[in-house]
Amino acid sequence: MAETMVKAPADVSFINEVCSIPGGEAINSCIQCGVCTGSCPTANQWDYPPRRVIAMVRAGLRDEVLSSNSMWFCVSCYTCTVRCPRDIKPADIMHALEIIAIRSGKSTRQSNTPIMYQCFVDSARGNGRVYEFGMMLKLFLKTNPFAALKLAPVGMGLFFHKRLPLKPSRIKDMSGLKAILNKARELGGAK
Amino acid sequence: MEPKIGVYICHCGSNIAGTVDVKAVTEFAKTLPAVTIAREYTYMCSDPGQDLIRQDIKELGLNRIVVASCSPLMHERTYRRVCQESGLNPYLFEMANIREHCSWVTEDKEAATEKAKALVSAAVRRVYYQEPLETKEVPVNPNTLVVGGGVAGIQAALEIADSKHKVYLVEKEPSVGGHMIQLDKTFPTLDCSACILTPKMSLVGAHPYIELMSYSEVTDVEGYVGNFKAKITKKARYVDVDKCTGCGECSDVCPVTVPNEFDLGLGSRKAIYRPFPQAVPNAFTIDKKGLPPCRVACPAGVNAQGYVALISQGKFKEALEVLRRTMPFAGVCGRVCNHPCESDCERGKVDEPVSIRSLKRFMADYELNVGREKATPVERTKEDKVAVIGSGPAGLACAYDLIREGYPVTVFETAPKAGGLMRYGIPEYRLPDKVLDNEISYLEELGVEIKTNSPVKKFEDVFNQGYQAIFLATGARVSQKMGIPNEDAQGVLHALDFLNKVNSGKKVSLGGRVAVIGGGNAAIDAARVAKRLGAKEVSIIYRRSRAEMPAGSEEINEAEKEGIKLNILAAPVEVIVKGDKVAGIKCIKMELGEPDESGRRRPVPVKDSEFEMNVDNVIFAVGQGVDKEALPKGLEYTGWGTVVVDPTTLQTNIEGVFAGGDVVSGPSDVIAAVASGKEAAISIDRHLRGVDLKEGRPIPMERVKDIPKEGVKAKLRQDMPTLDVSKRGGFAEVELGFDEKAAVEEAKRCLNCGVCSECMECVKACQVEAINQDMEEETIEVEVGNIIVATGYDAFDPTPLYQYGYGRLDNVLTALEFERMINASGPTAGEVLLKDGSHPKTVGIIHCVGSRDENYHEYCSQVCCMYSMKLSHLIREHVPGSQIYEFYIDLRCVGKAFEEFYNRVLEEGTIFVRGRPGEVTDIAETPEEEGKLIIVGEDTLIGRQRRVPVDMVVLSTALQPREDAGEVAHLLSISRSADGFFLEKHPKLDPVATMSDGIFVVGCCQSPKDIPNSVAQASAAAARALAAISAGSIEIEAATAEIDEDLCSGCKTCSDLCPFNAISFDEEKMVSRINETLCKGCGVCVAACPSGAIKGKHFTAEELLAEIEGALV
Repeated sequence: MAETMVKAPADVSFINEVCSIPGGEAINSCIQCGVCTGSCPTANQWDYPPRRVIAMVRAGLRDEVLSSNSMWFCVSCYTCTVRCPRDIKPADIMHALEIIAIRSGKSTRQSNTPIMYQCFVDSARGNGRVYEFGMMLKLFLKTNPFAALKLAPVGMGLFFHKRLPLKPSRIKDMSGLKAILNKARELGGAK
Repeated sequence: MEPKIGVYICHCGSNIAGTVDVKAVTEFAKTLPAVTIAREYTYMCSDPGQDLIRQDIKELGLNRIVVASCSPLMHERTYRRVCQESGLNPYLFEMANIREHCSWVTEDKEAATEKAKALVSAAVRRVYYQEPLETKEVPVNPNTLVVGGGVAGIQAALEIADSKHKVYLVEKEPSVGGHMIQLDKTFPTLDCSACILTPKMSLVGAHPYIELMSYSEVTDVEGYVGNFKAKITKKARYVDVDKCTGCGECSDVCPVTVPNEFDLGLGSRKAIYRPFPQAVPNAFTIDKKGLPPCRVACPAGVNAQGYVALISQGKFKEALEVLRRTMPFAGVCGRVCNHPCESDCERGKVDEPVSIRSLKRFMADYELNVGREKATPVERTKEDKVAVIGSGPAGLACAYDLIREGYPVTVFETAPKAGGLMRYGIPEYRLPDKVLDNEISYLEELGVEIKTNSPVKKFEDVFNQGYQAIFLATGARVSQKMGIPNEDAQGVLHALDFLNKVNSGKKVSLGGRVAVIGGGNAAIDAARVAKRLGAKEVSIIYRRSRAEMPAGSEEINEAEKEGIKLNILAAPVEVIVKGDKVAGIKCIKMELGEPDESGRRRPVPVKDSEFEMNVDNVIFAVGQGVDKEALPKGLEYTGWGTVVVDPTTLQTNIEGVFAGGDVVSGPSDVIAAVASGKEAAISIDRHLRGVDLKEGRPIPMERVKDIPKEGVKAKLRQDMPTLDVSKRGGFAEVELGFDEKAAVEEAKRCLNCGVCSECMECVKACQVEAINQDMEEETIEVEVGNIIVATGYDAFDPTPLYQYGYGRLDNVLTALEFERMINASGPTAGEVLLKDGSHPKTVGIIHCVGSRDENYHEYCSQVCCMYSMKLSHLIREHVPGSQIYEFYIDLRCVGKAFEEFYNRVLEEGTIFVRGRPGEVTDIAETPEEEGKLIIVGEDTLIGRQRRVPVDMVVLSTALQPREDAGEVAHLLSISRSADGFFLEKHPKLDPVATMSDGIFVVGCCQSPKDIPNSVAQASAAAARALAAISAGSIEIEAATAEIDEDLCSGCKTCSDLCPFNAISFDEEKMVSRINETLCKGCGVCVAACPSGAIKGKHFTAEELLAEIEGALV
């Protein structure tokens, strides 16, 4: 893939946005050594490996980063975080980028992970805990209903071992949870 | 005189004026009390600025000056000089720091101006009270102390010594040279490191103005610039450096081999060693870590490591000599000792203890086989005759030590032959007579007189024969009774009597079935002897379980092999008789209850579990006691019937009579008896010389700890060959002993815990008598005017970076290890070798290991890029055709000819991969990766992950502060920067000085740097020291403390606290006195004085309070 020349001056608003997320400001101290990429078990699947994602954020390439599949492939093994010589937490930064991508509606179509996250959050918000059956149903409906057939045997196994209840079970104090989430939203999170 | 103050506000260009409204501050200053004039100027420190002050002093008659500008560290001296030149005492000047403390730390102009006003106000109020002070000059001692003998220390020492001033060069290692002498070539010129350093090394060794103290450490420093006193501890090297010619014959004969620190453990050295052939001083050093555990565990202190080490070298005769330095019973103890040495043997923590006892026996057997030369009688140097009563192990060991001290010794023995229980208690198949005879005749040849068939009835008889001291060691030979019915029936025997008769060749008739009561060695011996005498069924009855049997486990095993039955957890309750003859024995079963005071579980009878056994003989082996009747009268006894002695000196209640062995301890073992005989010999010698018996006894024996076991491969002990059970009818010896090969193999298992084994072979080999095994460390004091610290660095240990595999994967080396490997004088003679002995075809070098890493060291170690590229070049030179990969983050080639060297390595074909690798693994993913080390990382320049298979990985490790840098800093009162290196006075303008005047830091102890920079710093520090020496005197701080004698209560609180020992006590007036030359004005005493009698000049309470008030107004 031929890459185009970056002509405009760096979009500082993007790096500022990343820096405003707790732990995000550490990207300023990155020395681009590449130990994160070198340690990453999935980086060969990423559009841009983690070191490059950080470089691209600093270059202000907002759209390219947010619409890439990169951060969605982070499996939170934290090897990069353990080995980073600059005390940056690349895994946390990838998760921060996921939030920005969802909020800006740019998250990739190449991966179902963004949709799964949304289904998970919706389920947890509605019940106070995750209702697996409902969540998976919603995920398959939103993505590929036929994929559910493949997982049917696993689902049956779980069901017969009473590990997949068909009815959701709610926590006792739903109004309390709502109050907490509202407060969080007020403070700028949990959108 | 009324104070007239001039205030001068500096703009410092825009440094101050950019933030502080200097005009406002000047106007404000004019309003302050006693201020005659206030001015502002662009650069107060410039000549025109200084002239302003001079002029005002002259014209306006100013007598106090305040300058508000930068830090006093920068310009206090400048303005003090201006004052002095204008006839004003320099202590009537005060500086307000409105730059570092004000304009540089805020962007808020208003706040900065307010703070500047406060600082000026504080300074003005303070200066009002300041008093003129006189500075003093002290002479500078022309000698210099250089700490550390690496290239920097060597350079500094030579520079100063060449100007004909004395230098003490202290190096803690046995040789100077530091890290540089470990390197192969140096970048970028590829000079041979040793070739360029050894001339300088030999010069420091020979220089008439350098006193080189190697293997020494500075342990204390006091005093102040120009007049330091340093204590230097010379560690015990055990070799006289002046006598040693460096011939190396000592090292050739040394039996102990350990890893060589100089080669970072890649090679080996002897316990007496020289780290490398060009060492300066060219003298050997003995590495004594301490006493080995085997030696400490032995009650008699036998130097097991010593003879084991010599056996490993095939020096059997010499090995026996080592043992005989302590005691004479190699053959006896080699067979019957209960070997506490083996229980504590460190090898046991790896696999099994070394068979120390069998090795001891081997030496004795070897001597019997090859024949022994008659021993030379010891010269009698002492007059006082000593009598030993009893010829068992205790008596003979005592006689052995005393005869060697030169005393005439006579041993009195009741029995027809000497040896005591060794002869009459231990059966022939365990300890053949010829072995004991050899060892006793050795004693006799030395001059010990043994009188057999000579019981001693009265001590007076002995003293009357002219003996001056007596050692009583008659043992405990009376069998104890159990107190059960029919214990005296016919057919009941007691083990010791039984063994005695058999060993004396008397006939003993036994029935077919024999029961032996007891679980000690005597019981096992009796049972096995009974079997040999023809008894068909022999069983041992013991009341506890097998694990609790006091007999040696080898003995129990052999007894079982010979068909003896163990009837454990059973106790006899009655001997069954038919007429007056034994017909059987009635026992009761036992079970183990709560532990008793010996820690073993107490046996408790099981109710109604009596059973009977039909036997013809019962042999009791349930302990022995002292036969009081047979002993001379007048002795005091314990409740146990043993002789009372002082536990340390073995002195009995009768003057001149000492006692030891079983007669004191009750039944024990041979080695304990020997130990007690040796203690008695010390006491008797002291008694006869009229020296205090107790002083310094018992000698503390501390074993060496933390014995390295890395890389020790498990290898079980050699099997002891035994006589086949079918051939054991007679009294032939059961254990056959090691042959030479087995003995050598077994001895090689020793870990050499103490390193030096004190075998003394080196002492014998040294023709110039340079070796002194008893050398002790020595502390000397030197007086110097300046101290140059050049203590160097430690190489970072990459083990914590688990992902790079160091210490875990073969062929992962540190750069320093690789330097040794590639060095012609290194462990592989310069061959780059993999573990399997082949040459690597591809090598990966990983940069920044431990550097530029917040988890380890944040700083860049400065030399790694360059030395890595140098290694690249060298590998290619040593292994033609090899492919090198350098994994780097950034290349730092900043130095003369460095970039050119980078170009050269690029042109040679080294592949540079930009990226810090994630890991080094040996898990292959493709066939090409099989058997390789794979470096996994991102090639950041192409933005993709790469797996690079290589044969060898070199880690370019960081340079870090010395492990003891904190202690050294404390010792010298110098500071360290956040990275742990010593802190210079100013990073740009005073990079070799420290905040402690007269102490300089050079080389890598100040920060990582290359050789040219280290040398340059060393020369710079030498110049600084020489400047002070050539000035001859130095001005010292006038701001000292002063005691008001009228207020001083003489409590001495101050003198205890003073870090400079400047306060003494006037006993006549009962007041403390301050030596103003020594006082540094630190103020500790001022704060501590409970009666407020001490005033800190230039920091009086008046001045400080005024300053605070000024800042607050």
